[in-house]
Amino acid sequence: MSTLSEESRQIVASLAHRVGPDADIARVAQAIVSTLQDMDAALTPIIGPQGVAALYRRSLQLCTCAHPRLAGTYDRVQAALDLAALKSVLVEQSEADALFFGEVMLITFYELLTTLIGPSLTARLLRDVWEPSLSDTPSQENSP
Amino acid sequence: MSTKVTINRLATGVPGLDEVLGGGLPEFSFNLIAGPPGCGKTTLAHQMMFALATPERPALFFTVLGEPPLKMLRYQQQFDFFDSEAINHSIRYINLANDTLAGNLDEVLRRIVSEVEAHSPSLVFVDSFRSVVLASQTQDNPNNNLPQFIQQLGMLMTTWQATTFLIGEYFTETDTNPIFTVADGLIWLRQSVQRNSMVRKMEIMKMRGQPTLPGLHTFRIATSGIKVFAPTAPNPVEAPLEFPIKRLKMGVPQLDEMLGGGLPRGYSLLVAGPSGSGKSILAATFLAEGARNGETGVIAVFEQRPNHSQNATLAGLIQSGQVGLVDSRAPDLSIDEIVQLLLSEITRLKATRVVIDSLSGFELALAPTFRDDFRESLSRMVTALTGAGVSVLMTSELEDRYTDLRFSPYGTAFLTDAIIVQRYIEVESRLLRIMAVVKVRASAHSDQLRQYHIDDNGLQIGEMLPDQEGLLGGRPTKQSSGAVRTGDKNV
Repeated sequence: MSTLSEESRQIVASLAHRVGPDADIARVAQAIVSTLQDMDAALTPIIGPQGVAALYRRSLQLCTCAHPRLAGTYDRVQAALDLAALKSVLVEQSEADALFFGEVMLITFYELLTTLIGPSLTARLLRDVWEPSLSDTPSQENSP
Repeated sequence: MSTKVTINRLATGVPGLDEVLGGGLPEFSFNLIAGPPGCGKTTLAHQMMFALATPERPALFFTVLGEPPLKMLRYQQQFDFFDSEAINHSIRYINLANDTLAGNLDEVLRRIVSEVEAHSPSLVFVDSFRSVVLASQTQDNPNNNLPQFIQQLGMLMTTWQATTFLIGEYFTETDTNPIFTVADGLIWLRQSVQRNSMVRKMEIMKMRGQPTLPGLHTFRIATSGIKVFAPTAPNPVEAPLEFPIKRLKMGVPQLDEMLGGGLPRGYSLLVAGPSGSGKSILAATFLAEGARNGETGVIAVFEQRPNHSQNATLAGLIQSGQVGLVDSRAPDLSIDEIVQLLLSEITRLKATRVVIDSLSGFELALAPTFRDDFRESLSRMVTALTGAGVSVLMTSELEDRYTDLRFSPYGTAFLTDAIIVQRYIEVESRLLRIMAVVKVRASAHSDQLRQYHIDDNGLQIGEMLPDQEGLLGGRPTKQSSGAVRTGDKNV
């Protein structure tokens, strides 16, 4: 990945914050999945579950194209927005590998959304997800 | 003291729409925005939403089946009114695609109501309502009762003090759709296509409790959003003609004389003549004379390229800002759009003199769909302009036809207060020009046919040609010869 944008740095920092100081693989996996859940919760009311699922699949596909070494591992979870399946794959990885995937995946998702609805609206919709000061549950109202 | 309920009227933030609606949007009304795909329904909804939503009284935008919300956000962002900061703050999008897909209208209603109760919105939009209707029809569900659904939705939204818009595609007006009965307002958007031209039109088919402007109103969609061209309201207190009549100098002293001392202020003047007879020069002189007296003017040019304006005087006046130029290159103009362009220039410059050069070019600039109503349109324009108190000079290309005495090709002569006609005549193998004042309403004027020529200083009016007759026939004969050909006699 080229030089990290401000948003990418924020995403990386937020993920690190969620993982916390003692990074075991369970915490890393949980941090990635919970971030995706929060993004899902923020976006589903607006673009619908299918819209979020489509973004998720496209992000995964972009990740595995950009980083072929991820392909073998994550091709298995592309079927749907099934975060339980993702988590079960993640916990089999090393912490570093999982964290690398998490960062790439979240940044790709963010950038994909940016190409579609522009940087300011993307930032607006996902603002609460990255807020490190907030607790792990975002202030967004929950999707139905 | 009146104890009747006062219905607040909301300013929609769409230029011209409040006028067409008859003073704004009635608060808590239940409205339908309808029209074929691509006519601007969603854009209209968004523009009003961004104008009206506040954090205290937010807007809820329910997306149902139809345009995917991601795309809608992508495209609506292109408009100036779109403000990302308002999203999730004063504006909330709520996706109901799944509930609608299930086809259960009760469930859709329940979702809408629970969101409305949670957020107390001032504005509610459902886009597109058509898909709700379709979903109710395709499902084999005995509980689905569309009229009941609409009835309940309308009742609930009003009770929750929300102004509501349902957005729906291509309903036909003849449908006996239950929504037409329940809705307080019906805003119909249309695209009128004729040959290569497309004109957007809006009609307020219904708006309870207020006098809307009837008929079709043209609008445009630009990056700033929708702009409706409402017809100008007739001036209720038009100043009565003052005596003695105040007159404007034309910049050609002999012509002022012929007009009985100049053109009466607030009059409309038609200058009709064949190509090259000097109509545009006379029009430029008229504006230059105004500028010389400290008056400002506006010129609407429809044929000559303004940058290539042959008339240096006019170019200088435009350059110096003493004359405003209305030069709309927009295709498919409507009369109301032109009038609005003119009036805004007149207001900006406090102009007193207006030139339309020429009516023939103006007719071509109009979208084909308006050409059938050209006379009516022209009449409205003249009324709007003279109603604004300005004096108007219009030029009109006149095909040289020596067998009739028409002054304008549109039968529009009666619309104007004064008429000057120009003609070519053949005398001794030369093409000479003659001019006459045909009409000046409520004023004495010359009845002379005067020869004139054009030089670097403009129009130079000479004498009559008393020894010639049959001038209007184009081929005058010497009176002394006594031989009058029959063809010339009866003109």
